[in-house]
Amino acid sequence: MTDVVGGRRSDGASALLVLAMLADARLPTGAHAHSAGLEPAVQAGLLTPAPPLTGGRGTGHPATRTPPATGASTAPRGGGGRGGEDVARVPALAATRLRTVTATEAGAAVVARHLWLDRRDLAPVEHAWAARTPSPAVRDAARRLGRGYLRLALALWPDDLDGAFPAGSAPPRPLVAGAIGAVTGLDALQVALLVGYDDVQTIASAALKLTPLDPATTTRWVLDLHPAVAAMAADVAHLTDPDDIPSAGAPMTDAWAQTHARTTRRLFHG
Amino acid sequence: MSVARTAAGRPRVDLVGGLLSGRRLPDEDGTVRVALVATQALLLAGDDVRITVEVDEGLALEVVEVGGTVAYDMQGGAATWTLDVHLGAGALLVWDALPFVVATGADVRRTTSLTLDEGARAVLRETFVLGRTGETGGHLTTTTRAQLAGRPLLVETLAVDPAARADPALLGGARCLDTVTLLGARYDADPPAGGDVLQLDGPGTLVRTFGSDAHTGDLAAAVAHARRAAAATARPAEGAAARSDGAVAAPR
Repeated sequence: MTDVVGGRRSDGASALLVLAMLADARLPTGAHAHSAGLEPAVQAGLLTPAPPLTGGRGTGHPATRTPPATGASTAPRGGGGRGGEDVARVPALAATRLRTVTATEAGAAVVARHLWLDRRDLAPVEHAWAARTPSPAVRDAARRLGRGYLRLALALWPDDLDGAFPAGSAPPRPLVAGAIGAVTGLDALQVALLVGYDDVQTIASAALKLTPLDPATTTRWVLDLHPAVAAMAADVAHLTDPDDIPSAGAPMTDAWAQTHARTTRRLFHG
Repeated sequence: MSVARTAAGRPRVDLVGGLLSGRRLPDEDGTVRVALVATQALLLAGDDVRITVEVDEGLALEVVEVGGTVAYDMQGGAATWTLDVHLGAGALLVWDALPFVVATGADVRRTTSLTLDEGARAVLRETFVLGRTGETGGHLTTTTRAQLAGRPLLVETLAVDPAARADPALLGGARCLDTVTLLGARYDADPPAGGDVLQLDGPGTLVRTFGSDAHTGDLAAAVAHARRAAAATARPAEGAAARSDGAVAAPR
């Protein structure tokens, strides 16, 4: 049944179409329920204008946490957004993620693709990813996304993906993306671009639901982040060993995710 | 430093010194205790601190720091701090480190590698402080790479510098990043005030606070909880203490 599906193995146009399809927000994977960490950040006060260096924990952190450094200026500073919100922090968050957690995900996807080309065991990639993802809330969100992706992928390419993920396993989305890349002819760079682009677009799209913005503004953010996505993808595209997957963490992002996971008032899973 | 078994049934502790040196303290409840003492000013440009810790199967070692560490202005130079730990099956390491201060002009690469055999546990404290009082601070990149029974448990690289401090998603304005890392067991107490408990995918936990100074959100209680959790997970701890056959080696 899979032999009639286009995009298998190295037909350039087919691979590009698969890439476009996978990056399409209309793909039925449940991705619309995720904000790539933006909602946890906004709930923690990311958009609240406070100068980071002098505002201490006032910057994007719940009031329950350590108070700001003494001597901090609490005067709000104009951030260029509506209602005093510093919306420029949204694309800045996406850029930081590209250097940290998203590079880890893209690296895991690239290595998963590499291993699945030869139908090798993907468990070491999952272990490497999990060890680099200390927040259980972040892991849960990635696995929830992975489930939606895997369900679709198994419907589209059941034979090619047979054995990639043992029944009952909960692979995170980057692993599924990598395995799909392996069976649809995507190269390593394309897989990494997909993961990077998806993270940025997820944030931009979620931003529209979380704060009043012009969709052209958020699309401009995505466009402006294209070079950062490309740079990240180029950095990880050569990876073949799970041990070499990037490990740069974003500790406050982890803290936000944990707090967010405990709240009930939220639009997104993570 | 190494803690190994001797034929005579007593822990043998081997300590070799360099920029740091280890001094044996009285054992406590079957745990070998070693004080880590700087033999000269630390940490300066060109310093290459390497600490190797080897704890044999079933033995327990606690490393006690006498003073915190300041990485000074390196005026364009850099320093490295490398810790390699191997814990045999069921072995235990407790290292409740004192603050590591990254002064303005410091440029430090820290690498902590921990290899835990089946049933081994570690309790580590790391407190990174950006700058001495009134300073903006220098640059530290620190990587922790831990594996348990051959499987990666924690791999995390963090930047501690003014740029990371200014980034809401990294240090979020905090000057001090304080972490208790528990490996081989899970922390089961409530999060400390203002802190987060991150349960790793494998058996391990990070307890972390972001603060304005080394005393804010102190994690002393979290260290105590982590030690209890590690002890509760112990398999051969009592037996090992009874056999009491080990040696501790030293830092270089």
